[in-house]
Amino acid sequence: MGKRIMKKVISSGLVLALAVTMLTGCRFGFASDPDDPNEETKEVPIDTSVDTFEYDTSLSGTSITLLNSKAEIQVALEKMGAEYEKKSGVHVEVMPVTDGDSPYTKVVSLYNSGTPPTASILDTTDVIALAEEKAADLTEEPWVAEAEGYLTEVNGKIYSFPLCIEGRGIIYNKAVIEKALGESFDPASVTTQSEFVELLDRLVDAGIEKPVSMAKEDWSLGAHQLQYIYETYEGTSEGAQEIIEDIKAGNVDLSSYDRLSQFLDTFDILKKYNVAKGDPLGADYDEMAIDLADGKTAFWFNGNWAWPNISEAGASEEDAYGFLPYFLNDDKSDFANQKIQASPSKQIMLDGQIATEKEQAAAKEFLNWIVFSEIGQQMMVKTCNIIPPFKNNPYEPSDPLSADIYTKVHEDKAFNASAIVPNDHWAVLGASMQKYLAGRSDREELTGDIQKYWDEQE
Amino acid sequence: MKSKNSGKDFCMFALPGMFCFFAVVIIPFVYGVYLTLTDWNGVSKVKNFIGLKNFSGVMRDGQFWTSLLLTFKYVIFVVLIVNVLAFAIAYLLTRGIKGQNFFRAGFFTPNLIGGIVLGYIWQFVFSRVFVSIGESTGWKLFEVSWLSDPTNAFIALVVVSVWQLSGYMILIYVAGFMGLSEDVMEAASIDGASGFVKLKSIIMPLMMSSITICLFLTLSRAFMVYDVNLSLTAGAPYGTTEMAAMHVYEKAFTSRQFGVGQAEAFILFIIVAVISGLQVYFTKKQEVEA
Repeated sequence: MGKRIMKKVISSGLVLALAVTMLTGCRFGFASDPDDPNEETKEVPIDTSVDTFEYDTSLSGTSITLLNSKAEIQVALEKMGAEYEKKSGVHVEVMPVTDGDSPYTKVVSLYNSGTPPTASILDTTDVIALAEEKAADLTEEPWVAEAEGYLTEVNGKIYSFPLCIEGRGIIYNKAVIEKALGESFDPASVTTQSEFVELLDRLVDAGIEKPVSMAKEDWSLGAHQLQYIYETYEGTSEGAQEIIEDIKAGNVDLSSYDRLSQFLDTFDILKKYNVAKGDPLGADYDEMAIDLADGKTAFWFNGNWAWPNISEAGASEEDAYGFLPYFLNDDKSDFANQKIQASPSKQIMLDGQIATEKEQAAAKEFLNWIVFSEIGQQMMVKTCNIIPPFKNNPYEPSDPLSADIYTKVHEDKAFNASAIVPNDHWAVLGASMQKYLAGRSDREELTGDIQKYWDEQE
Repeated sequence: MKSKNSGKDFCMFALPGMFCFFAVVIIPFVYGVYLTLTDWNGVSKVKNFIGLKNFSGVMRDGQFWTSLLLTFKYVIFVVLIVNVLAFAIAYLLTRGIKGQNFFRAGFFTPNLIGGIVLGYIWQFVFSRVFVSIGESTGWKLFEVSWLSDPTNAFIALVVVSVWQLSGYMILIYVAGFMGLSEDVMEAASIDGASGFVKLKSIIMPLMMSSITICLFLTLSRAFMVYDVNLSLTAGAPYGTTEMAAMHVYEKAFTSRQFGVGQAEAFILFIIVAVISGLQVYFTKKQEVEA
């Protein structure tokens, strides 16, 4: 009897030990562990001595909630909320959208349970879907004047606060290129598709066998890459809308639409020099950042949101990284070869339905505080590390990718266009793009998929 | 007297349970069926009655039928492999071999890890560990990630599900084997029944109640698979491993066609209910008393 109990104790102990080692084992297996205690976080000092913002004292004691769908700024937002509370007495609770949940699903379920967040950070398509039904009208807010060109209107009214500008293109690692070629590299010297290919060939000759990284993720392929065909129509959001309407209505024949064939030419180039060419759908996102930082590759198609990954892979803020445009052809005067895409991406929408007047007023004040107070302006750029779309914000982002976009936006080297597409565009056509990337479909099939997708939309 | 008492007993014992069951199962279910007949998008205040339009949307959604077919394929593989494997292992683990308690616990462990975590662990194994094994040994099998090829990704899904589900079923089968009466087995041996005959004519009929439970559990779990599907492949490569439950979710929340998604969920429910109902009916008929 005693022996049996003994045996049981030992076996369950072993199982426990096994389970524990397995669990901890997986914790250390991921490259990007946000809770890694070994990681040192650098605090950027915020100067709080000057604050000319006028707070509405009657709002003190109010509590508002902010639903955050931008995981990388969760901690920064909490800090911002705490700072704002110190000054205004309004408590801001930042709720994260957990991984795997879509922000839209989360906000809809919160609405259906009768406890919507006072403010929520959403994608532009989500705001358009919810605006007239749920959101508070922000057309009269003071910050509107500072964000000209970056506002989203729904039937002539503004329902959302543009949080940040994000841009994308072909990220280069200058040091790697210079080391391989043995000469200094000026990104402005590459102006056309052929020149880009020439540069790639020189890098191959210099020993970088496959100089390009390309994410296999459907959001990267379906949204960030494929949407160039709409956004480069004329480089504006209105133009993107126009071409989408034309495709939907059947006025444009996709098989002869030049932006599509040009886009696929560039895509084919990236595909040809892809470091994961042998197994493009097995490519690992974290590994791409490491490859770029280590110099195994020189280019990565991505956006400025990739900086945390690159920095974790060993790059420092002093390193020279930047963007090349997504070259579409050999015409030097084509804006697509001169400019990179950069547009407001995340939007803050306020609840206009359930939130009390006081809560709405507090949330509105918080938004104005971000834009107009010295502290808010600093924290937006330094703590959250985002590029604010507000003209009055004098601070420049410090990481090289955001800094490059900031410069390009101010030097008119960026075009502000974002296509508003149905929410499953990235998923459905992302799958078609993956198939094309893996070489299991041809242009004709891909074009057919795109046409079919738009035909099915009402 | 008696009826009065039983009324009170009913209120005391069954009512709380009934209340919970109605609140979280029956009412949402009926409400869900009602939603399939409306054009509600999850947000708007008004719900317009649109009849069976959502169901005709399901008919037009080719991807749903593809994923349903794939789910059937998956269910067949998983149910067969899990039950055969679990039955065999449970048989071995009740023979009194050395360290059988340890093995029982060990096989059960994967079941304690949630599907999402399990999926991520195996994703790492398939796309990194296997590939580096392939790189250092040159084996064709591991040359590229299993998850980037439609057939291999499907096999990967089956492997992981079997790995996860087997432990639980082993536990049930072990309990079944332990409950077999020694007298009957001994009598069979004395009558001259050999190993296979004993298995076929004595053990199997007596194990039927365990088989009923295990088949039911594996069937319903395999049909409703979502977590492993999401974390291991997420439908990749290019949507070829998207199972029915995942498609329903995508339809409702990514494509934002709530009504069609809900109708698909309802159809999936009917299919699973009918199949597992039939299974329980037929296997129950096979059950015998010792």
